[in-house]
Amino acid sequence: MKEPPAIIGVGRTRFGEHYELDPEDLIDEAGLMALDSAGIERKDLDACYISDYLLQVTNKIGLEEGFMSQILEMNIPIEKMRSFSSALMNACNAIEAGKYDVVLVGGMEKMTDRWSKIRDNLMLLVDHWSYYAGGTPESNHELLLREYIKEYNLRGDDQQKLMTTLAHISVKNHRNAVLNEYAHFRREIDVKRVFAARAEEQKMLGLYDFAPISDGATALILASPKKAKEYTDNLIYVVASSLATDFISYPSRTYRSGFLASRIAMERALKMADISLDNIKILEVYDQSTVLEMISLEDLGFVERGTAWIKLYKNFEDFKGYYDVDGRQVYVNTNGGLKADGNPLGATGGAQIFEVVKQLRGEAGQRQIKPDGDFLYGCVQEIEGFGTKVYVHILGREKGGK
Amino acid sequence: MGSEPIERRVAYIGDRLKGSKCPFCGKEYFRTRKYCGNCGRKSLGKMEDIDFFYEKGVLETCTVVREPTNKFVKLGSYIYGIVSFHNGKVRVPGRLTDIIIRSDEPVNPENFEGREVVPRFRRRYSVDRSDIIPTISLAFTFADEYYPYQQYDITKPSKEYDVPGIVGYGVYISRFRIKEGAMERSVPFIDEDAITAAVEAGKLALIHSGVDHRLIGKVYVGSESNPYAVNPIASKVAQVLKLGEEEKAEGVQGVDAVDTEFACKAATSMFKDAMALVYYPRNPMDYVMVIGADNAQAAPRGEPGGELDFFVGYGGAAFIFGMRDVIAEVEGWYSCTSDTPDFWRRDLEPYPRHGGRFTGEPAYFKHIIKAGKKLMEKMNLKPSDIDYFVCHQPNPTFPARAAATLGFKPEQYLPGLQVSKFGNTYSGSSPIGLAAILDQAEPHKRIMIVSYGSGAGSDAYIFITTSQIKDKRERQKFTVKYQAENKFINYVDYATYRRFKEGL
Ligand SMILES: [Zn+2]
Repeated sequence: MKEPPAIIGVGRTRFGEHYELDPEDLIDEAGLMALDSAGIERKDLDACYISDYLLQVTNKIGLEEGFMSQILEMNIPIEKMRSFSSALMNACNAIEAGKYDVVLVGGMEKMTDRWSKIRDNLMLLVDHWSYYAGGTPESNHELLLREYIKEYNLRGDDQQKLMTTLAHISVKNHRNAVLNEYAHFRREIDVKRVFAARAEEQKMLGLYDFAPISDGATALILASPKKAKEYTDNLIYVVASSLATDFISYPSRTYRSGFLASRIAMERALKMADISLDNIKILEVYDQSTVLEMISLEDLGFVERGTAWIKLYKNFEDFKGYYDVDGRQVYVNTNGGLKADGNPLGATGGAQIFEVVKQLRGEAGQRQIKPDGDFLYGCVQEIEGFGTKVYVHILGREKGGK
Repeated sequence: MGSEPIERRVAYIGDRLKGSKCPFCGKEYFRTRKYCGNCGRKSLGKMEDIDFFYEKGVLETCTVVREPTNKFVKLGSYIYGIVSFHNGKVRVPGRLTDIIIRSDEPVNPENFEGREVVPRFRRRYSVDRSDIIPTISLAFTFADEYYPYQQYDITKPSKEYDVPGIVGYGVYISRFRIKEGAMERSVPFIDEDAITAAVEAGKLALIHSGVDHRLIGKVYVGSESNPYAVNPIASKVAQVLKLGEEEKAEGVQGVDAVDTEFACKAATSMFKDAMALVYYPRNPMDYVMVIGADNAQAAPRGEPGGELDFFVGYGGAAFIFGMRDVIAEVEGWYSCTSDTPDFWRRDLEPYPRHGGRFTGEPAYFKHIIKAGKKLMEKMNLKPSDIDYFVCHQPNPTFPARAAATLGFKPEQYLPGLQVSKFGNTYSGSSPIGLAAILDQAEPHKRIMIVSYGSGAGSDAYIFITTSQIKDKRERQKFTVKYQAENKFINYVDYATYRRFKEGL
């Protein structure tokens, strides 16, 4: 099997509100940390892939490649993508094609600079016809929840259990973030509070069911396997990098109680990595909402479809820090997920990768997980839009293959 | 800042809910497409045009939106979800309209899901006052509530007439009312205006008449509350209702469309023009549509012009004129005009001013009585020869007094007197009264209508109903009476009424 590219350094800023910093400052900070942790110099970089969704709107900045060039004081190829996973995938493709050896991948977002104005832009990005009909980003998650409830006919007590499970997911992610020095929210909440917010807002899903919007930046150094070994022994391979797409308009999709793109992307990723789900001990899912963490577990194959609501419910009766479902133990969103770590769109995927790299390297400090058996692989799911693009990356201390 | 080209494209598809259907496998799409995803190349260029404008859908899944995006904020809380057409062949996002949901009111989606809905043509969202007004029909109401689902069946005409007349009509009054004392007045929902009322009335007239929309040669829209100072309502009506032959490549309709303005007689004035066009010997039009629609304007109480605020309503009426399958033939007409400024609105002023006491004797009564008397004289008719009388209805007392002065008895004028149900719908006022009479008149009855428009003038017409009036009656469920006495009417308070009238 061909050796995959490897991550040799990671960096990130704290997520949250950074009134005092420009997006350039944020990516500078994350990039320097990644370079430093890889032990390389700027001049070692062959290329750079960066990502952001909305700088054009929030900061009226285009041509991010230019300010990246100016920060680096280099004239290397730089390309801008939308999500961090997209930047990483393109970096992987280039390295695997033999084009570059060392690449900086960075993501940034300044959501809070113009936050009241970008709601409309966010929804227009998700699907403009849904926007025209009055849809909001949150309402899509509630429709997904309704589709799930109807598909599996969850009524009365079952529905109450489902809603309790979702509350526990939020509580769990908040608890995880307490130990994450970079997280947007580092305070515990309880199930009562999640329910209270729903009741107060008279909505199915309330404040504590949704990820916030954040500022922040993340970065990593990706290298060809040959070059990576020159710098470090502690490398993390990107053993799979896959993407699947789906219709922009959620109502027009045939499968609406989950994301088809997640399922397809995961199948492809497992095939690429040539490992089984059992080998994956840590999973970072794109929990824009608590519903999405639950349903992603099903879409990615960790839980049988239509059963996550009750299996997780039972897990939470005596939660051990990981989900014990369908014969597997998997730690999910140990950094607090988007819910508590934060969600600066273009940088979010970088924080998910950061977490899995740190955990696999045994550098996660107080958050360090110690799963039973070999701890070799972790998985990251990042979503663009509302299930419109799903990226799955599998990272490993080994190169994949059974 | 809006984009006019984007508005044009979104409205072109969204106002009518246009789509495509594959002739081979039957797959359907919302939004037009050139080929079918199942059938590929063989379907290229062969896709059939469809639209969901007259269809009934099902609200499959929904939730409540309480924190809308910025442009939807004025809608407050609303139900939003997925609507399916044709048993799930097509699904679209949609918002329920005509429902008031308080911010603290619990909403259980299960109470709404699975119910049948009808697409409604509405304003899409708020924009700057200087921008193009966005519209869309991804707004829905329940088919079993106020606005019933009605099929639009194009019917082949069976009878030619020697005299032009009314072939069909439609009246649209909103679901919301304000009730003060004995008087009820219609109130637009916040996403309604004179444009949406005109389209609704026109749509209902097509449904009632069974006339092929492609055969409409001209549409007039009379209104004094067009939200644009420049930009016709009639062009929107023509495009949404697809009046005239469609020139698909360019997206234009082969129809003449124009707005008219003369306070409350803007529509009735055009009745005779419409009849002249269908009667024109050389090159007659098959049908001509005349719409009177207003979100009747009034300043808030206490401000200059605020006295109108006690009487203004919202709604519209549309009449289709032709020579085939006529339900009421025209017998004669008379109009009079004088330069009498009793009610006016200067450019850039938001509300009209009103001449107070001056508006009665020298304006309203003088013109209506003149026109009514003259027409009877001209036709050699006495009040007792006329079965029904209807005139402009700015309040409940004026029309009754005018009718009595002309020699009409309550049984002649009460059927057409609708102001205490709907308020003064300005251009729609006497036309709605006429519609209320047509809703119940037997064949071979003589009806006199006299409109009044400030400024000032009156149009008087006499129509005689035909035997076909009864045949067509069953095609219209949404009658004036149905709208006046409907259990789904929603009464609002004064503050809500003012807010809704101001719109998005
Ligand atoms: Zn086909």
